Amino acid sequence: MLKTEELQINIGPQHPSTHGVFRMLVTVDGETIMDLKPVFGYLHRNHEQIAEQNTYLQNMPYTDRLDYFNSMANNHAYALAVEKLVGIEVPERAEYIRVLMVELTRILNHAGALGFLINDMGMWQTQLAFGMREREKILDLFESASGARLMCNYFRFGGVARDLPADFMPRLADLLKAMPGFVDEMERLLRDNEILMQRSEGIGILPRDLALAYSVTGPVLRGSGVAYDVRKAEPYSIYDRFDFDVPVGSVGDVYDRFLVRVEEMRQSRRIIEQIVAQLPDATGSHINPKARQNVKPPVGDVYGRVESPKGELGFYLVSDGSGKPYRYKVRAPSFINLTPLGDMCRGYKVADVVVILGSIDIVMGEVDR
Amino acid sequence: MSIQIERGAIVAVARGSQRARLPGMAMVDSMGVVWKHWVESFRKNRGFSDIHGTFTQEYPEEPAKIPEAYRNMPVLLYDDETGHELCTSCYQCARICPPQVIHMTQAKDPVTGKAVPAVAEFVIEYDACMSCGFCAEVCPFDSIKMDQVFELSTDDRPSLTVFKHDLGRPISYYAGIAPNLWAEAKESALKKLQNSIKRRPDVLGIAPHLTEKIAARRRELAAAAAAAPPPVAAPPADAPAAAKKLTPEEKAAKLAAMRAGKGATPAAPAVEAPAAPAAEPASPADEKAAKLAAIRAKNAAAKGDVAPAAPAAPASPADEKAAKLAAIRAKNAAAKGEVAPAAPVAPAAPASPADEKAAKLAAIRAKNAAAKGEVAPAAPAAEPPAAPLDEKAARLAAIRAKNAAKQPDDASGPE
Amino acid sequence: MPRLNAEELRARLSRDLPGAVLANTPLQVSAPPAHGPQPAKLTSADTLVDPTQIVAAATYLRDTLGYAFLSDIAVVDYLVEDIFELVYRFYNVEGGPALALKIRVPRDVPEVPSLTPAWPGANFHEREAFDLYGITFIGHPFLRRIYMWDEFEGFPMRKDFPRQGDKYIGEDE
Repeated sequence: MLKTEELQINIGPQHPSTHGVFRMLVTVDGETIMDLKPVFGYLHRNHEQIAEQNTYLQNMPYTDRLDYFNSMANNHAYALAVEKLVGIEVPERAEYIRVLMVELTRILNHAGALGFLINDMGMWQTQLAFGMREREKILDLFESASGARLMCNYFRFGGVARDLPADFMPRLADLLKAMPGFVDEMERLLRDNEILMQRSEGIGILPRDLALAYSVTGPVLRGSGVAYDVRKAEPYSIYDRFDFDVPVGSVGDVYDRFLVRVEEMRQSRRIIEQIVAQLPDATGSHINPKARQNVKPPVGDVYGRVESPKGELGFYLVSDGSGKPYRYKVRAPSFINLTPLGDMCRGYKVADVVVILGSIDIVMGEVDR
Repeated sequence: MSIQIERGAIVAVARGSQRARLPGMAMVDSMGVVWKHWVESFRKNRGFSDIHGTFTQEYPEEPAKIPEAYRNMPVLLYDDETGHELCTSCYQCARICPPQVIHMTQAKDPVTGKAVPAVAEFVIEYDACMSCGFCAEVCPFDSIKMDQVFELSTDDRPSLTVFKHDLGRPISYYAGIAPNLWAEAKESALKKLQNSIKRRPDVLGIAPHLTEKIAARRRELAAAAAAAPPPVAAPPADAPAAAKKLTPEEKAAKLAAMRAGKGATPAAPAVEAPAAPAAEPASPADEKAAKLAAIRAKNAAAKGDVAPAAPAAPASPADEKAAKLAAIRAKNAAAKGEVAPAAPVAPAAPASPADEKAAKLAAIRAKNAAAKGEVAPAAPAAEPPAAPLDEKAARLAAIRAKNAAKQPDDASGPE
Repeated sequence: MPRLNAEELRARLSRDLPGAVLANTPLQVSAPPAHGPQPAKLTSADTLVDPTQIVAAATYLRDTLGYAFLSDIAVVDYLVEDIFELVYRFYNVEGGPALALKIRVPRDVPEVPSLTPAWPGANFHEREAFDLYGITFIGHPFLRRIYMWDEFEGFPMRKDFPRQGDKYIGEDE
């Protein structure tokens, strides 16, 4: 009689589809996954310990490098936490600029993430190239505002580093004209595509109660049917002034997460349109002029969180009254979203593992810190 | 369990095809998207508001379009005109640098040992710099700014530890790459620079590649100033002919000529404004006189005489005036019927021994002529001064002649 | 489902889980300076729970109060006070601010019952706490290092871990 054996193989850490240096220890029986253990730490830079030795302002460029795909969102979470701890007020115009930047980041994250997901499915960078084109436009805007494309270092305590340059709003208006076309085209290209549906429908199902138990956040949670969005659950900044919807899925498979992200791009565009309409009437300047940047918060602890494109990004800071944080902890969404990876992959094929991982949308900078 | 949300709705995403299709037709339809992109790729994209077309930027044939705010790698600024660096070594950039790659030492006055608002050595480790821009943001003197270079690849690792002489850029360079940012900072930066310059002794605080030149020039000018008020027939001791090929008057003449040619715009990177000799805007007459003086000086030097350090033709308005006055006095004295003091007619100063001798001779002759009661013609006028005009010596000669004329019976003579 | 603030939570927990709630004493965060103004101690309104009761308290929050979303387990090393403080942060699925439970364990024997069997989401948080601080979670199904390699010795985020140079890198780094 033939006997089968379970085989333990490594997917990664060097693998083009693992979204960074990430290793999955899979136990396979033939092609079917029996068990999967994620192993990471290859990008561990001990960011939290570095942060304890830097002052609060010096940590800002390091937060860029956490989720290096969306630097503005990291900056936002950190600035929010420190402002809560110190008690700095942010002028209205600065809030509008912040939300504008974060929503642009959300669009560019989803454009890239979906491109990579489609790449993982074997469609070889068609959508990725289209998505990268949209990203380039937005990155050009970031470059003209903050000085760098990816490592923006744009947020400061009490506002943003610099006001928007003169050509920012016209170019943004131009971009908004192109945006519905991009999303519609993406849907036309992908949504009904039979191959995509075969490869993503019913794959990697994360049931709703399991999603909550695993404390996943972001599009993964919403794809599973729980309508939890930090922007609506505990509104921060000026999100309570904008109309936008929260898309949720029903089944919790890869297809649902894909659709949720596409819809979120539309909602982000909606928010940006409202910002463009309301920004000229905003009062204040781009930064609170009374806010000192070398802050010395009072003794205390704070947790500040935002809805980053990948999920809930939070900073837990403990201050001992000096200029350096006593404890600086990052609650990284990609890290926690990896918890159910084993459960999600069990019973599927090896080829599906890559697709499921792509649908969770991780960035190793965040996972490993 | 669902949250109640305001200003929005919870939208369930619609799965599956939006319309009934034959199996496989959605794929064909999506190929239409790819087809459209392919067709449009033959056209260059018009702008942001289009998602079709080619966006390719043919780098490096096309230079990269960099917005003004782009930042990569810090540099230190120095002033074009004075050569002074704006940095005062206040240490704010080194303190704020997150990876701590900036190191500097403060300049000290060599005489007193006190700290001076200038920087002695400044090091940035380019390989660890994350170009966050904090140093440029906090600098109170606007001296460290973010450059925009990104083509820094090298195989020489130690060269990425950059020292001050490689970090310096003129302000004109930064104003060229970031005009709006510099325009905001310019006024206060230059004002603070003036304050710093006042407190910097000697050549401390000048950009390294300019220090030698400026120090030498200053020495030269100091020497020229020391010799400019000509002593009594004394040749100037420290002729600055040592290091330079041109004498100060010749240099001044050259500069004046250049200025005349350029129409009063300052010459290109003029390191330091030359001092007194070129104070006057050039005019053709002055130019000629300056050239003449230069030739005379060369001849005098060739003759083995000590090079006259007296400034050339338009040395200064004061001297010119004095010479004119002496001439007028001589004329008046002559008109009054006194014995013509011969020497003043020849205001040319005997700055060389030969001329001095000739002047003495003329004075003696005048005395004799006066003693003889003749109205001596201005014989010594025939003595053309072979030396460059020395107004003060001319004045002196005039005075002596007057004295001689006043005391015709004084046998002692002026000498 | 009611939204509670910290005081209400403490009241309810004291009532329903007797013996779980401890008095939240202020903590000295860093070593106080020899002279000059002394920094204040860290006070917080969050409920301090007995470490052995943490699982019961957490499941009470989830089942009775509806705070089903465990966001974060943060560890803080208070070297001066010689304790580790763990902060468990819960959110209500319907939205609203967080409720936090804190537990304190001594630094020399940091053992905490693991929340993972009851709450799978705590898995990676606890592994991270184990890897970086050395806190042992009793009952964790797979308590292994998560960032550092398995044979690594030492707990990097502890305040007494050498910031420069150790036996892996050498003294000069």
